[in-house]
Amino acid sequence: MATKGSNSIHRSSSRPLLDLSKAEIQGNVEEKYPTILLPNQSDDLSHLALDIGGSLIKLVYFSRHEDQSTNDKRMKILKDKLGILNGNRRSYPILGGRLHFVKFETNKINECLEFIYSKKLHCGGWESHHSDSTNDQNAVIKATGGGAFKFADLFKERLGISLDKEDEMDCLVAGANFLLKAIRHEAYTHMEGQKEFIQIDPNDLFPYLLVNIGSGVSMIKVDGNGKFERVSGTNVGGGTYWGLGRLLTNCSSFDELLELSQKGDNRTTDMLVGDIYGTDYPKIGLSASTIASSFGKATLENKELEEYRPEDISLSLLRMISYNIGQISYLNALRFGLKRIFFGGFFIRGHAYTMDAISFAVHFWSKGTAQAMFLRHEGFLGALGAFMSYEKHGLDDLMVHQFVERFPMGAPYTGGKIHGPPLRNLNEKASLENISWMEKFLQKGTEITAPVPMTPPGTTGLGGFEVPLSKGSTLRSDASALNVGVLHLIPTLEVFPLLVDPKMYEPNTVDLSDHSELEYWLTILSEHLPDLVDKAVASEGGTDDSKRRGDAFARAFSAHLARLMEEPAAYGKLGLANLLEMREECLREFQFVDAYRSIKQRENEASLAVLHDLLMELDSLDEETRLLTLIEGVLAANIFDWGSRACVDLYHKGTIIEIYRMSRNKMQRPWRVDDFDAFKERMLGSGDKKPLPHGRALLFVDNSGADIVLGMLPLARELLRRGTEVVLVGNSLPALNDVTAMELPDIVAEAAKHCDILRRAAESGGLLVDAMTNTLDGSKEKLPSVALMVVENGCGSPCIDFRQVSSELAAAAKDADLIILEGMGRSLHTNLYAQFKCDALKLAMVKNQRLAEKLVQGNIYDCVCKYEPAY
Amino acid sequence: MDPRRAETGKNSDQIQSGHVYHLALDIGGSLAKLVYFTKNDEHIVGNEKKKSPLKASGISNSSRNSPVLNGRLNFKKFETSKINDCLEFINSMKLHLGGCQQPESPGSQTITIKATGGGAYKYADLFKEKFGISLDKEDEMDCLVAGANFLLETIHQEAFTYMGNQKQFVWIDKNDLYPYLLVNIGSGVGMIKVEGDGKFERVSGTSIGGGTFWGLGKLLTKCKSFDELLDLSYRGNNRAVDMLVGDIYGGMDYSKIGLSSTTIASSFGRAISENKERDDYKPEDIARSLLRMISNNIGQISYLTALRFGLKRIFFGGFFIRRHPFTMDTLSVAVNFWSKGEAKAMFLQHEGFLGAVGAFMSSDKHGLKELLANQKVERPPSKLSFSLDQTQVPQQDGELNGDESIECSVYGA
Repeated sequence: MATKGSNSIHRSSSRPLLDLSKAEIQGNVEEKYPTILLPNQSDDLSHLALDIGGSLIKLVYFSRHEDQSTNDKRMKILKDKLGILNGNRRSYPILGGRLHFVKFETNKINECLEFIYSKKLHCGGWESHHSDSTNDQNAVIKATGGGAFKFADLFKERLGISLDKEDEMDCLVAGANFLLKAIRHEAYTHMEGQKEFIQIDPNDLFPYLLVNIGSGVSMIKVDGNGKFERVSGTNVGGGTYWGLGRLLTNCSSFDELLELSQKGDNRTTDMLVGDIYGTDYPKIGLSASTIASSFGKATLENKELEEYRPEDISLSLLRMISYNIGQISYLNALRFGLKRIFFGGFFIRGHAYTMDAISFAVHFWSKGTAQAMFLRHEGFLGALGAFMSYEKHGLDDLMVHQFVERFPMGAPYTGGKIHGPPLRNLNEKASLENISWMEKFLQKGTEITAPVPMTPPGTTGLGGFEVPLSKGSTLRSDASALNVGVLHLIPTLEVFPLLVDPKMYEPNTVDLSDHSELEYWLTILSEHLPDLVDKAVASEGGTDDSKRRGDAFARAFSAHLARLMEEPAAYGKLGLANLLEMREECLREFQFVDAYRSIKQRENEASLAVLHDLLMELDSLDEETRLLTLIEGVLAANIFDWGSRACVDLYHKGTIIEIYRMSRNKMQRPWRVDDFDAFKERMLGSGDKKPLPHGRALLFVDNSGADIVLGMLPLARELLRRGTEVVLVGNSLPALNDVTAMELPDIVAEAAKHCDILRRAAESGGLLVDAMTNTLDGSKEKLPSVALMVVENGCGSPCIDFRQVSSELAAAAKDADLIILEGMGRSLHTNLYAQFKCDALKLAMVKNQRLAEKLVQGNIYDCVCKYEPAY
Repeated sequence: MDPRRAETGKNSDQIQSGHVYHLALDIGGSLAKLVYFTKNDEHIVGNEKKKSPLKASGISNSSRNSPVLNGRLNFKKFETSKINDCLEFINSMKLHLGGCQQPESPGSQTITIKATGGGAYKYADLFKEKFGISLDKEDEMDCLVAGANFLLETIHQEAFTYMGNQKQFVWIDKNDLYPYLLVNIGSGVGMIKVEGDGKFERVSGTSIGGGTFWGLGKLLTKCKSFDELLDLSYRGNNRAVDMLVGDIYGGMDYSKIGLSSTTIASSFGRAISENKERDDYKPEDIARSLLRMISNNIGQISYLTALRFGLKRIFFGGFFIRRHPFTMDTLSVAVNFWSKGEAKAMFLQHEGFLGAVGAFMSSDKHGLKELLANQKVERPPSKLSFSLDQTQVPQQDGELNGDESIECSVYGA
């Protein structure tokens, strides 16, 4: 049985990652994991690349299908839903994949080999039930780094794979080019402990200077893909720091040496300008604290090495080498007219202190005209580059909007940091692995740390050459090292075509780089957590298993929040939308498919029961009053939001209908933001002038229950009645009590029982394929009706980022001339300031006092009705 | 060679045979340098005689009513730690009877000497107390540049290159001297773009300089002096501590990027990979590695800086260099390497006295430069009379061992 994405408005302009032509699902779809056969996909597509360095092995591997953390139950639910939907629509997730970043210590290479073996990465990475033998023989894996030679035999022997050695510099550059092109906010600056993420226009990327600081330093001028030249370097690099450091102190590791530097005072070892002149030397612009001569003070004193503090020596060394690299890099960038300098290599690798020192040097020598930049995935440049060197990896064509980065908590190898015990029982079926880590996670619950280590913020206040005022008492040796999540490649994601300026578009209205803002929202999420856990556990019948997972989820998500509290930049550039999505992802990671399922159902049923009465009431009103009543209804019904603490409290005090009526009675115009008259003018015109109705409206719906049933559906009905095609846009994955695209057809079908307008439109939109057989009436009017359709938006978050929407939404948008965004998540937390090429109406009730004050200078329960004609 | 030039030397008695007119000091952290002028009585030239060349060159000599004195410019150094010797020496020259009295107060016993270097402050009181000499402090960098400009413009064999033990003098057209980069390697490194007399700017520098070599060297070896550390470095082999390109790429050249297997990939990079303690490394090897690291780095930054400002020539000076052949060699190699052979490191014969000469020049009363400029009109450059009088300088010790002098003329005060 072939299943093809054949939605009428589905269209995908993006090139698929894999050759999907003639793809079909083999065997019975009822089978647990049907194998997708890709007859036109060449066999040599590989899924693993390695960068084997002296201290770390970095793996980049690609997993093609939905993570198997989905348990039986979830698959069953999905299948139930698919059954109901009768396969007319695509199921989520769309075929894509995930790019995983994993590292191992080189001296524990056995763990790496076991990992590869357990994931079957050495034979193509995915279980090939139907074509077993071919891949196992003579598999060739791309590898780079010095160890690619050294361990070639070991890989051959243990896994039967040959390592195909790729040039290190080629890989480095290919990896950097890919990241800077494909990953949003990949680059950042690091000054005095503060990270700032920077979006670089991929069309304005080249030429740049890539400074790789390993043992020595290479400086590479990059002019384009595969176009680069090593233009300079210096022999004073990480090896010098560590080598001299070892000779001068008794440190036994690089990290220890680096940590020492943070307690150091270089005035005891360095000769400062002040030591020479007793004061500043303003004539040449040097302050008294400028280092005149690194280690110069040692020449003036008759002290033995043992009389110097190792801390001071380490700091002096660190500055000497960092400043020198920064200086030479800047001079080279200047020489070749390069706009940007990116620094990487093990000397950098997320070490806040070396980043600060280098940033300072570049700033100092360039007199502020140049900035040092760093890459979030910097540690994986080589491995990524090796991955890119496969002839067919498909990554070249991917665009920024096709990537979503997620930060799973549990998988012990993802996220870069090895923080869990290695997998045991590696011979178990791959499908059980996730259970295995989960068990580990549950057992070790009290020791949870977020997937990346913590470093206190603001501990690196290098005021330049001056001694830092505040010094961190602790530095995690690999602070924020390899601080990356799993990259989800979703080839069907597209930029929403109705955005006026996608480049300038910023979904978030709340800037979490403001620390008080971040603190507030983290607290909100934290406070909301127990209630969420209750719901999640209840949604699965309160079983022991669900309780344990609920507990684990709470701890895991708390750990995420704690980590963010300590290091706001831990997960890259983070908006409120990302934060809310992280919560949903975390729930899913602990196998809570839909925590609000039962609540949503109950509320939908209750609301549908009164829908008929509401529609009768509406139909009795004149057009103008009806429009106002409808908008009021949407705003009033928007109170049903389980994401709002205030509303959750409210629910305990009354029934849905009572609250809805109360809420409506409170609607008093003018609302806090009230463009209703302008909207009415557009819809109804004034006087005799009757404007043309809109051709197609996209309704971005929010919550289940009253919100969708008593708010948005009646509004949709009104639009349909006026001859406007309506597309209901729902979430691809559940988020709180938001209605999902999969649930919408059910709700519409139920509502259609009470309303001919809805029924005919739904039929026309192909939503009632099943329901039609149930309707016995033969008196179906033959009048063609405008269609009511449902599409998914591509997200699993209460917010929406219009840079990354599903291809079917993008396709539906092509003919749309009105969009209606409803609810806090989609029209306040995000998109309040978004500009669209078509008319846009943003409707929401503000259910948070702080947000009300900040965004609309109002109070909780104020309403926003913002109408903007097409830009 | 004029045999008389051998007269100048360590013996202060000999000094008195001439008449000391002007003196300037550069008191550094380790050495105090003196530049002074002695008159040869038989060579006193009347003012009349000098008038015509001055006129010929279009320079008014109306302000110059003093006689022109022929004599010698003498260079002498003392260890700063033995500053009393220096004081004794100055005292012995009977400067207060010489030409250094303040012209505006002829009767006064207050003697003012131009001085530069950090010690000019530090020892000011000492000079005052002991001999009533007050030190007139001149800016170090001004002096450095003035000294370099003077020497490069007027001394025939002043600049030279040094590669592979080959010292080669370079004749520089005075009219094609500017702009150049002057790299002064003291404890730290100052890089000065010089565009003309008094026209210069400190454009760059690095904190990795002579102080770093000596400081780190002292901590890592048991050396007691800078010179001892340098001596060690001559005998060392940096392969023991440095990571070479060959160490990384298995002995093959990484020809793709134009690096030979003996190129240093990481200074001290080998000290990380082996389980050895500091005492397991030979001090010679450590000294060698340090020297190469620092010289290489200075050479590279100097070249990049020269490139940035479009400067044709790079002159290196400062105590780190001070004619130490191996230091000069590594610097030359670095500049050659980074410039792919397009630039050459140059050194100055009188490099140790730049500051002192500059301080000497800062008093315009002797009109040395003016005179020299005119002398040049009179004679072809190759026969300039300011030939060096230099006592033998052993190659191993870079610093001028003895003292030297240059024959020249000044206006009598």
